[in-house]
Formats: sequence, structure tokens, C-alpha cells
Amino acid sequence: MAVAKPQPQVIYEGTRVPQPVPTILQVDPALREEGDILEVNFGPNHPSTHGVLRLVVELNGEQVVGLRAVVGYLHTGFEKNMEAKTWWKAITYPERIDYVSFQNNELVFVLAIEKLLGIEPPPKAQWMRMLLCELNRIHSHLVWLGTAALELGAISMFWYCFRERDAILDLFELVTGARMHTRYFQTGGLAEDIPAGFYDECRSFADSMQARVDEYEDLLSGQAIWLERTKGIGLLSAADAVALGQSGPVLRASGVDWDLRRAQPYLAYDEVDFDVPVYPNGDVFDRYKVHMDEMRESTRIVQQALDGMPEGPWIVDDRKIVLPPRHELHTSMESLIHHFKLVTEGYRVPEGEVYVAVESPRGELGCYVVSDGGPKPWRVRFRAPSLVALEATATCMSDALVADLIAIVGSLDTVMGEVDR
Amino acid sequence: MTYESVPGFLEEREAHGETTVVVERETLAEAARHLRDEAGFNVLADLAATDYLGWERPRAAGYWGDPRGRDINSPGSWGLQTQPEPKPARFSVSYHLLRVTSGAREAPRLRLQVWAEDGDPIPTVVGTWPTADWHEREAFDLMGINFEGHPNLTRIILDDDWDGHPLRKDYPLGGEPVRFSGEE
Amino acid sequence: MAAVGPRKRRLADYGLNSERTLMRDKGPSVFERELGADELEDKLMLSTVEKAVHWAQGYSIWPDTFGLACCAIEMMSIVSARYDVSRFGAEVFRSSPRQADLLIVSGRVAHKMAAPIRQIYDQMLEPKWVIAMGACASSGGMFNNYAVLQGVDKILPVDIHVPGCPPRPEALLEGIVRLQEKIKAGVPPAYEIRGVAQ
Repeated sequence: MAVAKPQPQVIYEGTRVPQPVPTILQVDPALREEGDILEVNFGPNHPSTHGVLRLVVELNGEQVVGLRAVVGYLHTGFEKNMEAKTWWKAITYPERIDYVSFQNNELVFVLAIEKLLGIEPPPKAQWMRMLLCELNRIHSHLVWLGTAALELGAISMFWYCFRERDAILDLFELVTGARMHTRYFQTGGLAEDIPAGFYDECRSFADSMQARVDEYEDLLSGQAIWLERTKGIGLLSAADAVALGQSGPVLRASGVDWDLRRAQPYLAYDEVDFDVPVYPNGDVFDRYKVHMDEMRESTRIVQQALDGMPEGPWIVDDRKIVLPPRHELHTSMESLIHHFKLVTEGYRVPEGEVYVAVESPRGELGCYVVSDGGPKPWRVRFRAPSLVALEATATCMSDALVADLIAIVGSLDTVMGEVDR
Repeated sequence: MTYESVPGFLEEREAHGETTVVVERETLAEAARHLRDEAGFNVLADLAATDYLGWERPRAAGYWGDPRGRDINSPGSWGLQTQPEPKPARFSVSYHLLRVTSGAREAPRLRLQVWAEDGDPIPTVVGTWPTADWHEREAFDLMGINFEGHPNLTRIILDDDWDGHPLRKDYPLGGEPVRFSGEE
Repeated sequence: MAAVGPRKRRLADYGLNSERTLMRDKGPSVFERELGADELEDKLMLSTVEKAVHWAQGYSIWPDTFGLACCAIEMMSIVSARYDVSRFGAEVFRSSPRQADLLIVSGRVAHKMAAPIRQIYDQMLEPKWVIAMGACASSGGMFNNYAVLQGVDKILPVDIHVPGCPPRPEALLEGIVRLQEKIKAGVPPAYEIRGVAQ
């Protein structure tokens, strides 16, 4: 590859990434003159359940020859809003970014704060965080499976998946008090200790989950219509996936064995045993298989986390960051002062910048935090895997039909809250 | 690993286990190509633009400690007023790079950073990492950073006719004042 | 009139004439003979057309698939088997606004999305109702900033606001039930009685 000015856009021979704009599939000019191109708008509100994604599609008969994705219909101004809140209050915001795997977002922001502060939460907090994030991964994949199957016509999957999903949300409610957007991770550990009865409920859920995943596979994997609608559709080669910055199930379904839980273990992932599913073909069916296998692996991690859950404190013991226990406020003057300062002003995070990445159900979720040494963040930026996955729609869409469009966009598992932030 | 051979190299910093390499803005495209081909950073994980307007203003006193306690030899922890170090320019654009190798058990990362004033053009890296397309559009949309050579530099997150760049520090947060029902 | 217990209301009390009052010499009709002539009023339900129409509208209200953000996930869970909303009459979520009665605005409304929402609301046929689900749709929620519309009632007339972030499925079902009570009570839909918020 010669280094020349201006930079050539061809990344390697045989790439299917469109030129000149990598994210827009443009109609061949010859086809535009002779063919009958119809421009259709899959507007922000459409029957498929992806949220507010707008696709401007150009069709030649049934075939998709032009594609442009328009996003921004859910822009909420998270990053600017978090700059106006103290660190403690700002933790409430990231959950709403990727609203299906909410605890992963919280986790990445809290890990970034802890990295800047230089503190390490106690083992019980690490294991519990890992357990909740894996439950959240199962939750996210269930929602994905239910809605993706619903769009392709396999409507009953929706009800089965949401049955398990409600069981997981019951577990979240048992631990944290809320079904979604739990706000349970705190700088230094967890907000509260784990309530009694949680472990037994979680264990009975995990024991039944493996059988359920097998049930879902039985319903779909051998089904002729499902196979015809997903096999060989939406191909993305490994090199294209890497060039487009993909991660998570999309990358693993294209044959690249890459998982942040194994490559840069965080929390307690290096102490549990799990496999990373990788499939070679890079089509919609492989992405579906990756999701199913990940549900099984997550259930295994949950079971191991229950077995290996350590005892001990659930939050770090540093009174400059963590509220002192309430009974101390009556006897210790310093505790009272610290409590007051933490509640009114909040803790201060030393000056610096960090980038922390975790493996969310959609891929690499990253958080770039710049601190100026004060009680409020200076800049918070979230790297959303769904934005990057949407960039790959134009590449996956070469020789697709209209019906495949839905299958492909569904298989990329995008959550629009993440894309627009 | 040392990064001094990167074209336009200015500075290398290590903090919190992360390496940051600052390069000259004009030769960013060559630096990007070098890092992708020679150093093997084949994935651009993130592109983050930051506005440092108002960074040098003096801030209120405070101290911070860690689980070992306060370091009495570090002036920042005495409650003295600290003046933050001034930054080289108003905007910094940080490219978070990652080397993805199938089956690897390590994730080498690097932060490539350039600094620019308001209006300075920054060469695009879309030719090296196609995924930069939307990231650069978003940085343009929300921060107003001009990426030179980008094939489609238009607004992506906000309305096409929006005025201003919201994530800048001189753009107000907006919203409405909260009205309480008991108020007159 | 001496009465033991409450006097039975007869058709004449409702201002209705039956064959018995109009044609005094005619005996009971086949219908009355089948039911038993004296208990006719016990076996018939009398109502007005308006009330009957409201009953039909309220108990077959079909929402539009309009999910924006996190509240949409909870809205999907009311369709699921545990919090089954079809027992309240919302049997199907219609994708086309032309076929839907109820717009559940579930999630934060960005300024870019405000125009499509208004367009969809305008495409719905009357009578139509709007539920603002969640804190963000009711008032902007925790996002008091440049990007989020501070309440969808700035562009649409809203019938019911359901608080929560996100509201539990039971809370949304309560919102739908209250809407049904409103409809049955004869309260007109919001576009007839109120405009948009200031």
C-alpha cells in the first residue's frame, strides 16, 4: 500500500466497502440511466422495532442498489448534560444510552472514574458487577432475538423471549429495586449490599436458562423459512469488518476471534471459564448463532459467578469517595463532614484522561473521560458499537433484496439510543 | 514500544496505563497510515474531540486522596488552589487505536492526539480506517472541527439546518427553567 | 304507588313507548312472551348510542407501534404474555397510523423527531388519543437541555401522562385503564378540549 497524497480510499484488493463514501451505497450511474430506480424512505417510524432509524433506499425492482442511513432522531445531548452534573449524579445518565443493556453503560463510566481515581473495588463488587452484566447480556440478546424474529415473521419468538426477559428483570428488581435503569453501580463498588434470597432465585433462573436456549434454537435453527431468509444474506468479510471497526457479535460472526472479556479482562472475567463463539461465514445466520451461543456462555458465567461469589465489603472503604455508613454519622465528626461534602459538592476526580472499553452485547462500548480535577466531568464521550455497526449497512447490503434489508439491519443489533446519544 | 518513528511525532505520554502520542496536525494522515501498516493498529475504536475553552481559569480549592490516604508531599492534596497546566490549543482530537488479532489474549491500544485551534483543518483518516466516516461527521456536527478531505462532511446527529455546535463550551446547555407548581 | 322494595323502572319511565302503551288492545308480542312480559326491563340493557359508542371505542383501543427509547422496551413488555394488554382490548399494535387509535409516545423526543411525530399524529384518524409515557415524553425528564423537547405536549395534545423512568408495565396499563375510564365517562379526546402546552 503506497502512502500518497491524497490518500487512496481502497483499503485492500477485493474490498466491498463502497467508494467514495464508505457508508453510502451509491447507485451505479449506468443503472440510473437505463433502469427504473425508485427511492423509498424507511422513515423514522416503521413497523420493525429498531427504534428511530431512517434508511433512504433506492430500489431497482426488488433489489437494493442505493442505501443511505440517516440517524439523529434520538439525540439527547447526554455528553453535554453530563458535563453539567457532578460525577455522582452523572452516573445516572449513561444507562439510558444503550437502553437494552443498561448496566454495561453504567459499568463503563464507573470503571473510567475508578481508573482516574486509581481505586480498585473489592472482589465482591467485581463479581457481582460481572454477574449483573452477564444477566444483562442475556437480557439484551433475548430482546434482540424476540424482535429480530418478529420482523422476519417468526412472531411467537417474541413471547417466548420476553417470558425469560421478565424473569431477568425480576432478578434485577430483587437486587436493585428497579426493573430497568437500575443505577446500582457506584464509584468504588455497588450502591448497596446484595439482598437475601437473590442467589437462590438467580441460580434457579440460570439452571432453567440452558434448556430455554435449546428450545429457541429448536424453533428456529432447523426451520426452512428461517434458514432461507438468513443464510447467505448480508455478507461481511473479516477484513471488511476490521476495516469498518466492527466488534462484538458482528465481528465474531465474520470469523475474527475477538472478545474484550478475554483479550483485556476486566472485572473477574479472567477467573471464570467461558468460550467465545466464532463463526466463519459473516452472514445473518452466523450472527444469530453467535447470539444464541453467547446466551449459553453467559449462563455458564452466571452459574460460575454464583459459585465463586466472594464475601466481604461491597464498596471501597475510602470516605473521600464513598458515603460513610449511617450509624457513624451520630458519633464521628469527620464522617459527618465527609457525608456533607460528598452530598453537596461530590468527590473530586484528579486531572487526566482515560479511555475504558468493555464488551457490551453489541460490541466494544468505550468511554473517554477527561477530568479537570473538579467535581464535574470536563468531557465524557461514549463510543457506541451500534453507530459503528450502522456504518457497515452499506457494505452488507450489496446484492440484497428488500426483504433482506430488514434481516440485515436486524442482525446488526443496533440500539438507536446509543447511535444518537 | 517507542513511537518516535511516527511521522510528525511531537510527544509521547504515559498515564493510567495508557500511551498517548501527540503528532502534528498537518501530517496526521501519514501518521495514521504508518500506525496502521507498520505498527499494526488496524482498528480505529473511537474518535473523540474535546474543547478546552476555559481550562485555565482558576478553580476553587479542594483536595483529593486515595485509599492509602493523602500524600502530604503532593501540593494538590493540601487544599491549595491548583492552577491547571494550559493546553497547547483549544481543541484536541484523540484517535483511540486498537490492534485486533484473531484469537489474541492482549489488546494493545494507543491514543493518537492532535491539537487544533478553531477553524484549523485536520486531515481526514477515512482513507486509512473507513470507520472514521461517521465519527468525523459527528465531531464536525457537535464540535465544529473541520476535517479536510472527508468525502461527505455533513451534519449527522442534529438537524441539517441547526445553528452552532452544541458540545463546545461556549454553547449553552439549553433547556427550560423548571417551574414549581406552588410558585406565583 | 305502594311499593315493597324499589319500584321497577318501566320503559315509560325512560320516555320510551312500547307496543303496550301505544296499542292498548294488543297483547304481548312474541318477544315479550319469550322473555316473560313482566321482567322485560330486567332483561334488557338500556343505554344511549353515545355511551355504547364510547364503550366500544374504549375497550378496543389499538395503539400505534411508536417506540422511541427505553420506554419502548417496557411498552413491548406489555404486549408480552405476563402483562398482556390485549385483555384490555388493545389487541394489536398497528404499524400504520391510519389504522391506530392511540399514540403512546414512549421515550425522549429529540427536536429532529418532533416533525415526524406531528406528521404521524396528523395521519391518525379521529377519534385519537395520546398517552405520554414516561418522564421524558411528559416533561423532558432528566434531559433539560438543547436536544430534547421538554414534553411531547408541546406539539401534541396529550390525554394521559404516565410518570416513571421507565414506568413499570403495570403503570402503563394503569394509564390505559384510566384512559378507558375517561372515554367511558364521555370526556372528549384531548384535541377537542385542549391545545398544546406553552
